[in-house]
Amino acid sequence: MEAVKNPAMSMETFNVCSDIFSQAITGELIGMSNFASLAETIDDPHEKMEAVEHANSERMHAEGFMQYAKKAKLSINVNMTGPYWGNVRKQFLSYAGQQDFIACLIIQEVMLESFAVSMYTDVGNAMGGEAGRLFLAIAEEEKEHLEHSSDLLRAALKKDPAAFISKFETIHFNCMTILAEFTATTDLKGHCGVCNGECMKGSLHHIGLDVTEMRGNALALYAQALDNIGIPGEKSIVWIAQLPA
Amino acid sequence: MDSAAAGLDFAVIGHQDSWQSIAAFVNSMRRPDQEKLSAAQIKTSYPFIPPRDVFRVKVKSADGTEINGVYIETFIDPDKLEAGFARANMQKVMRAAAWAKKMGARIVALGGFTSIVLEGNVDAVTTVAANFTTGNTLTAVYIAKALEKAAVQHGIDLQKANLLVIGATGDIGSACVHYFKNKTAGLLLCARNQQRLAQLYDALKKEEVEVRYAATPGELVPFADIIICAASSSGLQLINCRKKALVCDAGYPKNLEKAAGNGAMLFHGGMGQVSGGFAFDPDYSAGIYRYAAPSVIHGCILEAMVLAFEKRFENYSTGKGMITTEKMEEIYGLGQKHGIDIAPFYNAKGLWQPH
Repeated sequence: MEAVKNPAMSMETFNVCSDIFSQAITGELIGMSNFASLAETIDDPHEKMEAVEHANSERMHAEGFMQYAKKAKLSINVNMTGPYWGNVRKQFLSYAGQQDFIACLIIQEVMLESFAVSMYTDVGNAMGGEAGRLFLAIAEEEKEHLEHSSDLLRAALKKDPAAFISKFETIHFNCMTILAEFTATTDLKGHCGVCNGECMKGSLHHIGLDVTEMRGNALALYAQALDNIGIPGEKSIVWIAQLPA
Repeated sequence: MDSAAAGLDFAVIGHQDSWQSIAAFVNSMRRPDQEKLSAAQIKTSYPFIPPRDVFRVKVKSADGTEINGVYIETFIDPDKLEAGFARANMQKVMRAAAWAKKMGARIVALGGFTSIVLEGNVDAVTTVAANFTTGNTLTAVYIAKALEKAAVQHGIDLQKANLLVIGATGDIGSACVHYFKNKTAGLLLCARNQQRLAQLYDALKKEEVEVRYAATPGELVPFADIIICAASSSGLQLINCRKKALVCDAGYPKNLEKAAGNGAMLFHGGMGQVSGGFAFDPDYSAGIYRYAAPSVIHGCILEAMVLAFEKRFENYSTGKGMITTEKMEEIYGLGQKHGIDIAPFYNAKGLWQPH
């Protein structure tokens, strides 16, 4: 699938590509806004600068996707207040308001980045060409965020394992429930407000993707992220089993 | 799961054998106020999850000693057990073995299909797990001892009986062949690998054992008084077996009820029972325990437990064709020492009624 070089792209392919780029841009803007909000709450100057740098990194990802979408004349719809993206943002802001740096890191760098890395990789491999390369390159950068946060969270776990696991569990159910509903075979909480027409999940096959596979891979990467941080397997399996499907 | 768990004597690597079992398992992990997920919903996540520990197991010996272990689920898709998925399944088993090592388990049991996945390549596990066992020696001796007991119960004289072994060249099948070669009137052998089957036949002939073989069981079944099915085939048919033939379903999964028809006396073989009992933490037994009697476990899993009780942390059952009758008797005796013996006879309909 090469959106730019192929003017004879079918309507179905055009629509699904437009929706994928719309989701990616919205997701990156959410990430940018999250880090910007986090920067406001941090007192430590170095951490503050790091948060701003992360926000800029997400901004550049969004710009990269926007530039490609413009070149390919895709129909882009950005909506950061829809039922899924909007609620994830609300969750983040509630922790940012409490100046809970660790909670913000868990939401943005573990939960959202696991899904971003996995889904960008799947999309990149399926699309190929310039669009595919763009998704794969951004997935690589997001992977670095995920790995960096794992180091910080491992240290937090070591300091007070029981408190850390309890906090993580609460955030998991607050935030991963939304992502699980969002990525279920059918939208469990209605239309996302980002896709142009009907939900794109049923059309992913036009570019060789499958929602079950994408959701499964994303959950697998999230589970691996939990393992890397040091969450016990017997905990993480229950957390995942209790998510909506 | 950063550091090794203290005092972890053994780990069991396993998988669920059907989507029905998986649904029960997953739903037993959900809160009571949550809706039950259907198998179709669970399929969207379960087979993607990387291997991990799911619950702890505490086992009690007849002498009061306790050992601690852990169950590690591979999340192998029960619809993808065929050869075409061998590579992906093997990766899952290897990752599960690495997980067991990371947890500090002193011996690892390859339960159910996980040892079949590695058959012919079991040594690969040694690169990631400290000590492991396929558990096939105890499974084989439980099949043998149970058949001997069932034969006595049903008035079948083993020395006058013909024994058919389906899957005769596999690790468990060949162990049973050698165990019974001088104890029955004749052996009937069946296996998919014709070359290995002919080699086994030649070796038995040299020992003057009365033996016949065939590629498919159909032509041998009518002559068999006792049948051991140690093959994991779903299309097996035993409908022309003798009325009152004794059938031990020792394959994986155990699914011979329909194939054997109503006349056969069928039981699920290779299973053991722990008199001291065992407990899971968290207790998912409501979702995963489906046996007709208490404290029943697959022999392959029990083997690691027996070895752990004996503090014999070593590679015990290591692969195809290495099981000797002496080793079968050894592990059986060690199990008995700890109150671990063959399970009561049962099949899909429940426990056998007293004869």
